[in-house]
Amino acid sequence: MITIDKLCYNSGLRYENAGEKFAFSMFTLILCVMSRSMIIACIVLAVMGILTVWKGRIPLFRYLHFLCIPLAFLFLSTAAIMVHVKREPLDLFALPIGSWYITGSLYGLMYALQLILTALAAVSCLYFLSMNTPMPDILMVLDRLHCPKLLIELMMLIYRFIFILLDTAYYISTAQECRMGNRNYRTSLKSFASMCSVLMIRAVKRSNALYASMEARCYDGTIRVLSEDHPPKKKVIVLIAVFELFLFALFIWRRFFA
Amino acid sequence: MNKKQKKIITLTGIFALTFGIVPNVSAMHIMEGYLPGAYCIAWGVLCIPFLAAGFMSIKKTLNEHRNLITLLAMSGAFVFVISSLKIPSVTGSCSHMTGTGLGAILFGPSAVSILGLIVLIFQAILLAHGGLTTIGANTFSMAIAGPFVTWGIFKICRKCKVNKMVSVFLAAALGDLFTYCVTAVQMALAHHADTTVFGAMGKFLLVFAPTQIPLAIVEGILTVLIVMGLENYAKPELRAVGFIREEK
Repeated sequence: MITIDKLCYNSGLRYENAGEKFAFSMFTLILCVMSRSMIIACIVLAVMGILTVWKGRIPLFRYLHFLCIPLAFLFLSTAAIMVHVKREPLDLFALPIGSWYITGSLYGLMYALQLILTALAAVSCLYFLSMNTPMPDILMVLDRLHCPKLLIELMMLIYRFIFILLDTAYYISTAQECRMGNRNYRTSLKSFASMCSVLMIRAVKRSNALYASMEARCYDGTIRVLSEDHPPKKKVIVLIAVFELFLFALFIWRRFFA
Repeated sequence: MNKKQKKIITLTGIFALTFGIVPNVSAMHIMEGYLPGAYCIAWGVLCIPFLAAGFMSIKKTLNEHRNLITLLAMSGAFVFVISSLKIPSVTGSCSHMTGTGLGAILFGPSAVSILGLIVLIFQAILLAHGGLTTIGANTFSMAIAGPFVTWGIFKICRKCKVNKMVSVFLAAALGDLFTYCVTAVQMALAHHADTTVFGAMGKFLLVFAPTQIPLAIVEGILTVLIVMGLENYAKPELRAVGFIREEK
């Protein structure tokens, strides 16, 4: 049911070392957000997109579709930044309505453009991580980074439970659909709510059963999972370091010398 | 109604018609890369005391009752799942519940702060809602501010002997609206290109109002229906969940 999760298990980069992928996307993301320059954003967008589609073998249209997901938010909030309602017109455009103007400035346009590019580039970094690295691998990296044990354990359990609950929700909603549960708005609200409450009951029951079965298998407070080890490759590390240094140099140059 | 008010209403109408048909309205996650670095860090730092308090209380509960860990994890997964399911909506666009309001009523605000953080990480990675750099800001608005307001309103209403269903509705709907206001403030602080902070805030509120206000009302109604369903069929389960909350 969760497309990204399915995609990342089939990704061409799945068996690369998870730490490499994590470091690569995180450093790039941070540089991209800190610099907020259009050139860096374009480079990052291109590199991440090419790597995900070509090396990761994620279908191009799927990838583009995912890039479109945050567009609704982007359009709305950018409109809020760009468009003003004022008494006097600004320099870029002005639509008179009575004695007021719907107007925008050139500065606002440049600001919005930069914001959109940065945001899209940042999203491409996030997608590089999430479409090429399965969740358990990310959790392993977080564990290596000394995240609190309790948090990792909760995340691991929650990750597993999500699919169980989603499955249950899917069956219930199919059953409701068969019995005309979405006949009109009123019934669909009612069936959604009853599905949620049944889901909650199922969740509590399952969690009790799960704990009992974990106890039966000698659960002592830590969940031990075997992790496949894919040692990092020297070549990849050098490439990542060169790319990050290049971005950093560009950032410094744009910020202080250009 | 004076002229200005009329204009505002027409404008909101135009926005509603233009953007009421956007394909995917999630519960106002600030997207990846939208906030400048300094703001990401500042909001993250602001979350830390709340998260630390939540973490401590969860840890204490779990040390006393080890068996609650699966229940806690199930609750987290439950919040994730209800926030990822499409809720029935009037305009035909696909929108989602926040889920943290219901979570706060069921599990208490301190547990929800940690669960909310985890849910937001999963939403960013698995569903592409929100992002990793904006996790601090999103956690503050959705897993801390919203749930605390929800919880507070719920408690106050119960103290004042307001009908339980009404108090659940008010708590969930107002908590949702508060989340949306906090998000608008967060974005206005970061992006006020050529106006004042307050001007920018007004605009963000206005632009997201057509999607968020109906959503808050629907979320309130749904939360009431869900709580009603649970009260009818799941008294023992509610007591088990209440156990997490009572321990605080």
